[in-house]
Amino acid sequence: MLIDLLPHLVNGLTLGLLFALIALGFMLILGLMEQINLAHGSLFALGAYFAFAIATPRLPLPPDMLKIWAGVPLGWRYTAAILIAPVLVAPFGVVIERLMRRTYGRDPLYGLLLTFGIAMVLEDLIRAVWGTRDYVLPVPRDISGGFLFLDLIWSRYRFWAAAFAIAAIAIVWLVVERTRFGAMVKAGAHDSEIVQALGIDLKKLRTGVFVFGTMLAALAGVILAPIWGIRPHMGVDAVVPAFLVIVLGGVGSFWGAVIAGLLVGMVVGLSGAYASEWSLLSMYLLLILVVTFRARGLFGKKSVLEA
Amino acid sequence: MDARRTVPTLTPAMLVTWALFATLPFWIEPIGLYHYLGIEILIFATYALAYNLVLGHAGLPSFGHGAFFGIGAYAFGLAQFNIAPNLWICLAVAVLATALAGALVALFISHRRGIYFSLMTIAFGQVFWFVAMKAHAITGGEDGLLKIARLPADLGLTAIPLETNVALYYGVLAMFMLVSLGLWRLIHSPFGRVVKAIKQNEERARFIGYDVWACKFAVIVLSAALSGLAGGLFAMAQRSAFPDVMSLHYSGYIVMMTLIGGGLVSFWGPVIGAVVFFLARDLIGALTTSWMLWFGLLFVILVLFRPEGLAGLFEALRRKPPPAPVAAPDAKEA
Repeated sequence: MLIDLLPHLVNGLTLGLLFALIALGFMLILGLMEQINLAHGSLFALGAYFAFAIATPRLPLPPDMLKIWAGVPLGWRYTAAILIAPVLVAPFGVVIERLMRRTYGRDPLYGLLLTFGIAMVLEDLIRAVWGTRDYVLPVPRDISGGFLFLDLIWSRYRFWAAAFAIAAIAIVWLVVERTRFGAMVKAGAHDSEIVQALGIDLKKLRTGVFVFGTMLAALAGVILAPIWGIRPHMGVDAVVPAFLVIVLGGVGSFWGAVIAGLLVGMVVGLSGAYASEWSLLSMYLLLILVVTFRARGLFGKKSVLEA
Repeated sequence: MDARRTVPTLTPAMLVTWALFATLPFWIEPIGLYHYLGIEILIFATYALAYNLVLGHAGLPSFGHGAFFGIGAYAFGLAQFNIAPNLWICLAVAVLATALAGALVALFISHRRGIYFSLMTIAFGQVFWFVAMKAHAITGGEDGLLKIARLPADLGLTAIPLETNVALYYGVLAMFMLVSLGLWRLIHSPFGRVVKAIKQNEERARFIGYDVWACKFAVIVLSAALSGLAGGLFAMAQRSAFPDVMSLHYSGYIVMMTLIGGGLVSFWGPVIGAVVFFLARDLIGALTTSWMLWFGLLFVILVLFRPEGLAGLFEALRRKPPPAPVAAPDAKEA
């Protein structure tokens, strides 16, 4: 009985770690700017598309250069995609942050609307460049395929994705909790006036946080691409679980986001065991259930969302 | 309160709007467009007016309204197939079904505010959309409900057929006039003033003694029901019902229409927005396949520089001469 559930449990755990990874960048921006970035999903999608362009390779390079790059083993191209795609997406984050400046201090509704518009623009930009078809991000042989364990076939890639997500989450934790940058971000989220009075350039700090969040989103896009497939709609499929995880975990709580991410992943994974068609519905029901009884989420403190 | 201060039932703006729409079938083809576009615009104008009840008038930013529009469309089709192919019955079922769905959602979100309200509406919108996608047996899944008939308007003695685009257009126009008149009265009724008070300061409205929860509940249910009416008409117009209109994208489009038009500051803003949205879709769409890219940019610019929308822009141009300080606090509230 339990052994039948094990694959779903592991899948759920993997999905949960990835949800947490998507949500963390979203949360950093929400925490410091007090703005919901609905374009977060589009940055996630851009990460996946750029990685696809690097790995397959379909870069806008001169033909002979492209030929040389195509001759490089997939393992290297894939590694390059993971490293470079987030860097290529970062400028988009800078532009969004510049546009958002006008909405700081105003009703968060404007930030929500602004980023919704930006998400629409980016999604159509993706359609204009890459078309509406689905793509597959190729992964190196070492981390693809499946292996047999306990008479079950397990996907190697999912384990790799889970391990990668854990590492990325650990790095985010280190940055937020153990660096000066993280301390400034937390202080800025707590009281932006004091932070400015201390001589910290809040503008630069905000841009920095936005770039960090953008790169995390893009990174999550690269890692999730082989599981979800690359398609224009993937941004919405990512941003909705991200905000859901944040609300569920409680705004501003790092471990809240991680635990909520895992919880959402597990609920989706386990409900997939019984009703695979309906499994995604479970996360919305979970959110509605939790928020009905605990408006601030599981670990939330009082926040801008309650304004 | 002084009776003379109440807003007239029929205003010049209303009569002009109605007259423009009433003559539309005579001039829309000569200017290079087509009758069906008129139907789409009127249906979405009705929907946007209904939506603006929550966004513009009550200040509740719902991002899941597509669900109600879609439920209305499905209810209309299902009523036609399973209950009776009668226009009034089918529209009544569409309104009733969405009012019920609206009540269910409102139970959970009526005491929420601001962004939290938005997030909960996204969650509910996604739930309904998901159910519409997956409940193949009832909704036909992604294929949708097909072969929905354009039912004649049975008036007892005679029945007016609504088969052709022009006939249906006038049928939809009648509904649009009814809804806009009804909403106009509602907004300027004592109830409408309470709604406005809640938008400006919910806590203050509560302290004065208004039942804020019940008021928000009523606004959400009413807005949902009227969105469902528009959805029912849409099912009839396109002779089918699809889950598309319930997606987060479409829920966002109605927000965009309402805001671009100026729903935050003007009663007729949402109508302007619907017109602009569909004209942009057809005109920009004729030039490029990625029309949402350009429309989205327009929207982004508007949110940044003129959140009060096109209606607000007209207002600003009209009273340009002296910078009116009276308008300032109002703009801030919006």
